[in-house]
Amino acid sequence: MATRTDNEIRELGPEEWAQLVDDKARALLGMSGEEFERRLNSGEIDIDDSPEITRVAMMLPLNGTSK
Amino acid sequence: MAPPSSTPAEAVEHYRGHTVRLLSCLTSTHTTVSGYHAADHPHRLVLARGDAARLHADPRLTLLVTEQYEVRQSTAGWYVEIVGYLYAIGYEDRELVSYHWHPSGKSTITQPHMHVGAAVQIGDRWLGKVHLPTGMVGLEQVIALAIVELGVEPLRDDWERLIAEAAAR
Repeated sequence: MATRTDNEIRELGPEEWAQLVDDKARALLGMSGEEFERRLNSGEIDIDDSPEITRVAMMLPLNGTSK
Repeated sequence: MAPPSSTPAEAVEHYRGHTVRLLSCLTSTHTTVSGYHAADHPHRLVLARGDAARLHADPRLTLLVTEQYEVRQSTAGWYVEIVGYLYAIGYEDRELVSYHWHPSGKSTITQPHMHVGAAVQIGDRWLGKVHLPTGMVGLEQVIALAIVELGVEPLRDDWERLIAEAAAR
């Protein structure tokens, strides 16, 4: 659950963070966050392929253990 | 380095507070973190929920900040270590310059590097795709770049002190 202090969200829980990544992946890359993470971890997508890919990839834990 | 904390949550709050103070030199946009506890994967801190934050500048400049961090314990206490970053300054909705460090992913480029948003072709390669090597870059250096070199209006009078303190950590 998100923690709110001083009228701003300070922490997002795992599900909320996954939703944030999903929203960003769909908006910037036209795919779900789950598909993006799978393709990134398989090496099909490289983190430096485009600025948009870097943006979404850096929102995931880069040792590939977000689940 | 910040003094060690007595709990993981205190260490993260200290790190987040420090980062927010630095960012407040340029923007009042909020930051979000993914965790206040030690974990087997890096946590993330993002500015503006991963969107580029508009800066006070003419022409239109933006700032994108994402950091990956780990909560670690030493004999002295808990502390946060940054283990990856993305700092980018945009111009008219395009990336002008971006600083990357992503040592733990699948990429073969694990050293800190930068990309420039230049439409220059070198043979069959675009300069924008080239990984230009850098040393480790701190957020305070990017903030100083924005203010001193790119003319962004600082939002605090004490921005030089904050940057100097961050550089000395």
